[in-house]
Amino acid sequence: MNKRILIALSLAALTAFAEADTQWILQQSTLTYHVSHPLHQSEGVSHGAKGKGVCHAGQCEFLIAVPVKSFDSGDSNRDLHMIQVTRGAEFPLVTVRTRLPESHATALTINADLEIQFAGQTAQYKQVPFKLDKQGNEIHITGTIPATLTDFKIDPPSLLTMPVKNEIPVRVDLTWDQR
Amino acid sequence: MSNLWRNSVSGLLVVSLFGMLAPSLIAQTAEKGVLTGRVTDPSGGAVTSASVTATSINSGQRQTANAGPDGTYKLELPAGNYRLTFEAAGFNTLEISSATVSATATEVLDGKLEKGEQDNGKPTPTEQENLPNAPSSSTTTPSVSDLGLSPEQTRGNPQEQALLDKRTHMLKIHQRMGLVATIPLVATVILGPGAGGKSEGTAVRDLHVALGSLTGDLYGITAYYAIRAPRIPGTKKRGPIKFHEAMAWIHGPGMILTPILGAMAFSQKNNGEKVHGIASAHGPVAIVTAGAFGAALLSVSVKF
Repeated sequence: MNKRILIALSLAALTAFAEADTQWILQQSTLTYHVSHPLHQSEGVSHGAKGKGVCHAGQCEFLIAVPVKSFDSGDSNRDLHMIQVTRGAEFPLVTVRTRLPESHATALTINADLEIQFAGQTAQYKQVPFKLDKQGNEIHITGTIPATLTDFKIDPPSLLTMPVKNEIPVRVDLTWDQR
Repeated sequence: MSNLWRNSVSGLLVVSLFGMLAPSLIAQTAEKGVLTGRVTDPSGGAVTSASVTATSINSGQRQTANAGPDGTYKLELPAGNYRLTFEAAGFNTLEISSATVSATATEVLDGKLEKGEQDNGKPTPTEQENLPNAPSSSTTTPSVSDLGLSPEQTRGNPQEQALLDKRTHMLKIHQRMGLVATIPLVATVILGPGAGGKSEGTAVRDLHVALGSLTGDLYGITAYYAIRAPRIPGTKKRGPIKFHEAMAWIHGPGMILTPILGAMAFSQKNNGEKVHGIASAHGPVAIVTAGAFGAALLSVSVKF
């Protein structure tokens, strides 16, 4: 009888352990957008992203939010123009959502479906490749999101009447900590 | 004396001609675009009684169009960003917080109206989607409010957006007028040596004066749009714009001094005198002014 109770308790504990929620917190981030203009190239960098991942029953949901104003291109005039064309004062955050199997945490590469809200628009990107490097409780993720201006209905800003290219790839470099 | 009179008249003509052209040059920057779409009910049927109102986020100006028999509407609007409201009797009002109208492409925006319910003060689905702090749909889905961002970082500010829109609009005109001003500026500088020195002819000098006047007027308009563009509070200037603005402290006074010295030199030359005294600084001042203007232009155009 005692054995049965012990087995039942052990099974219950195992089940509870298997279904226990785990969380990932974004520790460090570098997001870099790249803009091409016939006269020069420019990049804007943000270290201001905040993120959280919640895993439950083998599935993890991740959310990253970064203030549009946190991107710095080294030129305040360009940054203000970027905020204006992306409607960054009205829609101050870029949010990225994705859902991944928990087992992917040990993979070397993953392909993620991303839903990005930016400039009052929502765009989806399918199977975006990312590299993973897991060390202890930390995972370092790098990749590039192939964003374009038309995805978010943004009029291409122009300099000397020449517009920038439609492609604005965003390099992602994230370090997540498992809690 | 008659030469001076003729020169003044020709200069005035050029200035007047420019005065007539300038508004149209500026007006071209506010080109119109087309916003169109179809208003439907939940089943996809046309809502013929619908009205669509576009309110400019920048200026607050409103324009309304009624849907046709097939539910389509069409609005011709100055390029910019608009808040749209779809209304029809028996349907809930649909608001779209931001739609961009460009002069280059027709924007298509359909409105699907929900039947029945009266406004209960809750945000529409579109508004809900745009709320940065929208609650999670499930307990395991993280939400923006979980991330520890400050309210200032998550709250939208339409007033600031309107200020940014106005700033960009004015700086676009500043940029275009600066480019246009460069053409007569370069021509004036090129004609400079022929207008002064030992030359006794008046044709080149007259053209130099006329182009210089045109440059001055264009420069004035260019400067106006830079000076009057709204400043954004809390913005610390970084990068090439600092050099661009520093150059303005050279070419700004230079653009005032150059024509004054030029008028003195012109008068001396027309009196048969050799250009002398402070008037002889006209050329060097003009060169420094043009150089500073060119450097200002390049500083924001090319990455060094």
